[in-house]
Amino acid sequence: MNFSDYIQKIDRRYIFIILAIAVILPLLFPLGLPTFTTPPVLSLYKHIDEAAGTDDRAVFMDFAQSPSTLPELYPMDLAILRHCFLRDIKVLTISYYPQGAAIMQMAISEVKEDFPDVKQDVDYCNFGFRNFALRVPITLGMGDNIAEAVETNAAGRRLENLPIMEKLKNYDNIQVCMEISGAAPGIIYINYARARYGVDVAIGVTAVSAADNYPYLQTGQLVGLLGGLKGAAEYEELVETFANNDIPYSEKKAQNLSWRNQQYELSKVPYKFKQARIGMDAQAVAHVLIIIFIIIGNIGYFIEKRQDKNKYVK
Amino acid sequence: MMETIGIWVAAFLTLSMFSFLYKDNPFYKFAEHLFVGASMGYFIPYTFFNVFIPYAYNPLFLRHNYWLIIPFVIGLGYWFRFSNNLGWLSRYPIAFSMGIVGMGVPMSIHAQILVQMRTMMLPLTNINLILIFIGTVSILLYFFFSKAHEGLYGKFTSVGIWFMMVGFGASFGYTVMARLSLLIGRLQFLLGDWLGLIK
Repeated sequence: MNFSDYIQKIDRRYIFIILAIAVILPLLFPLGLPTFTTPPVLSLYKHIDEAAGTDDRAVFMDFAQSPSTLPELYPMDLAILRHCFLRDIKVLTISYYPQGAAIMQMAISEVKEDFPDVKQDVDYCNFGFRNFALRVPITLGMGDNIAEAVETNAAGRRLENLPIMEKLKNYDNIQVCMEISGAAPGIIYINYARARYGVDVAIGVTAVSAADNYPYLQTGQLVGLLGGLKGAAEYEELVETFANNDIPYSEKKAQNLSWRNQQYELSKVPYKFKQARIGMDAQAVAHVLIIIFIIIGNIGYFIEKRQDKNKYVK
Repeated sequence: MMETIGIWVAAFLTLSMFSFLYKDNPFYKFAEHLFVGASMGYFIPYTFFNVFIPYAYNPLFLRHNYWLIIPFVIGLGYWFRFSNNLGWLSRYPIAFSMGIVGMGVPMSIHAQILVQMRTMMLPLTNINLILIFIGTVSILLYFFFSKAHEGLYGKFTSVGIWFMMVGFGASFGYTVMARLSLLIGRLQFLLGDWLGLIK
């Protein structure tokens, strides 16, 4: 049996084992590979950060998620909520998916553990679950009056009675509509909120959907995009560098990798706030492995092709 | 205590799912069926208490908003799908829903077509805009089948194929990243939450 026959017949379970080892080792022993930030993530961070310290601007987050998207989207949830809580930015959250509502509550609770001074209905408001059929009416209604469109928070209290809503009336007070989604991200907000009311929209998506959404960035219909685990890792990094050190965002500093690396020690960051970056270590090793597999597979393919050709000539 | 039990159950189900990589087996089947059942079991009462009670029962029976009977009757038409004789009644709520879809058409045309086209009509001032222009035109011409793809025209449309290949490659690369992320997420759970090896 020659080389090409051997790799054609190799048991795929060996490949699974090699891949598992390639992923497990960087998780146990993080490599600390640098995280380069991309323009869509920088743009989103900058956009959200501009609302710091204001009480008449809020970030609106729609959690269109399910457990199957947790590895990619949950680190985004945590990073954005942490950014907002660190920089005193008001947050409004909603989910039109039953499982998304549970994830939303989990994310808020997990981030809030580190922010005892952040108060519900004062610094953030969880609107809770709403039926999917109400998505368009609520999205349109928020353009006129958020409190009337959504009516109550997750605990059933009327929004007009909540302190956070005193200066948050409609989309004029929304810094960005952020949909973190594993399905068709941002379409409702681009079609209705952006087209009719001109509100800024951004999305966090699973990597599968990321490429499809770049046209919206090109047109300016999206002000930012977090694509998969990489996008989450980039945002985590920016929050760690700037917001956690109370440093205002600067594009020049953001692009200076060596300066950013001096701002914190990864080993001292709580795991929940660095899980995407550690995941990217494993991702990088696995990608290299897959590239090697592809090259080996192609070598085998061309060897076999040449052997077949020689056989035919004889 | 409950959290620990939850972690062990989740770890067992994760490993049961992974066992399919070796071969199909009863543990995998059990976890698969449990997932389907649990998803539906979670969805139905959640919808009942968060949709039916606040949006149907409470307004109608507690606040006596009787005008809501009209949409309720229309909505009940869906249930006639299960009847051979009265199945036609379900077409009315479907027709109503389709009418609502129509409401989104103008805004979709604006957001999905007009704005995209407007970006195509910008002055070609940088390399990105030039690439986008060439890519869009060559791909559109590739899908224009009233003229044979021959000669110079054929060569230009083949440029469209290259652009599409790059697009498919980007999508595939992102897909690999997404699938690996799922594996990484599960392994982070097993190594961290379950085994406590990640601090």
